Amino acid sequence: MGVQEELLRVIDEVLSLKGRTASFTRATPLLNAIPELDSMAVVSLITTIEEQMGITVDDDDIDGSTFETVGSLVDFVSMKLAAQH
Amino acid sequence: MRGVFIRAEPGLRFCVHHGPEQGHPRGMVLYVHPWGEEMNKARRMAAWQARELCRQGYAVLQIDLLGCGDSSGDFGDASWEAWVSDVLAGVQWLRDMHGQGPLWLWGLRAGALVASEALQRLGDAAANLLLWQPTTAGKSVLQQFLRTRAAAEMHAGDSKGLLQRLRADLAAGRSVEAAGYRVSPALAAGLEAARLLAPPGNGRVVWLEVATRQPPALLPTSASCIAAWRADGKQVQAQALTGPGFWQTQEIEDAPELIATTSAALAAA
Repeated sequence: MGVQEELLRVIDEVLSLKGRTASFTRATPLLNAIPELDSMAVVSLITTIEEQMGITVDDDDIDGSTFETVGSLVDFVSMKLAAQH
Repeated sequence: MRGVFIRAEPGLRFCVHHGPEQGHPRGMVLYVHPWGEEMNKARRMAAWQARELCRQGYAVLQIDLLGCGDSSGDFGDASWEAWVSDVLAGVQWLRDMHGQGPLWLWGLRAGALVASEALQRLGDAAANLLLWQPTTAGKSVLQQFLRTRAAAEMHAGDSKGLLQRLRADLAAGRSVEAAGYRVSPALAAGLEAARLLAPPGNGRVVWLEVATRQPPALLPTSASCIAAWRADGKQVQAQALTGPGFWQTQEIEDAPELIATTSAALAAA
């Protein structure tokens, strides 16, 4: 499964979007666009991504730019995965 | 099913008791809820499971820890030590009510940490552990809690600085706040130091996790912990099931496979 596909599965689950992520693209805005994405949900998302995708999010990664769009989050996770190898 | 208040210093703890209509239960189960908002999100699943276990002949007590739910105190008054004592008080209440039958401490997420620590102090060589998505180290729960504050203030653009300040506050003996919960240094320190511990005697462990990825798999940290416990001779039944992270999802979600597997595990006990 590609990073984007897996990330959308995680987003769908954590935010209880019931399959709405099927229509999400890289350009889909996340933060300030999806009402379900409150501060607790951001942390749940980070935790689930860390656990299920095997990356470590640093304190300064918790930034609006990371969560701006699907694309920015995919790029962030991809970069973390690449840095591990 | 009834609400009861039990004595535990200081004040009272609100509990829900599911007892058999008549006769002796086949065993007793004490549920220890998770941290903060996870407690509320998980209520439905916990209540569902408690009812199923009661139907199978178990007496179940769900206790609201100090400062949580309908118990005495504010969250800011809670300490790790008080929470462990609360679990012991709950066990004593069950024993006074139902006698000396088989006992299960059932913990979800950080509740599993409290439960496993209480089990160490219980002095019951046969007491068992039922773990739902247990946190193996409390440090991660504290980090998630502090990060909620960082997430809330992301627009300020200095998460690292904020998190450093929050940790410095705790170290200096000051409470910190996040997501509407105030946390004392005593609670934070206890949580941060907490590690999931195997039953000291020959009690069984049932370790269950849920995941939506296919096929579901235990978390790597869980798999390591389980391997270590088995190497120590502990009986561990461990399984990853398909289901949502109901303690954290935006809407209240069900994980019916978890209910079925838990019920089957305790039916066979």
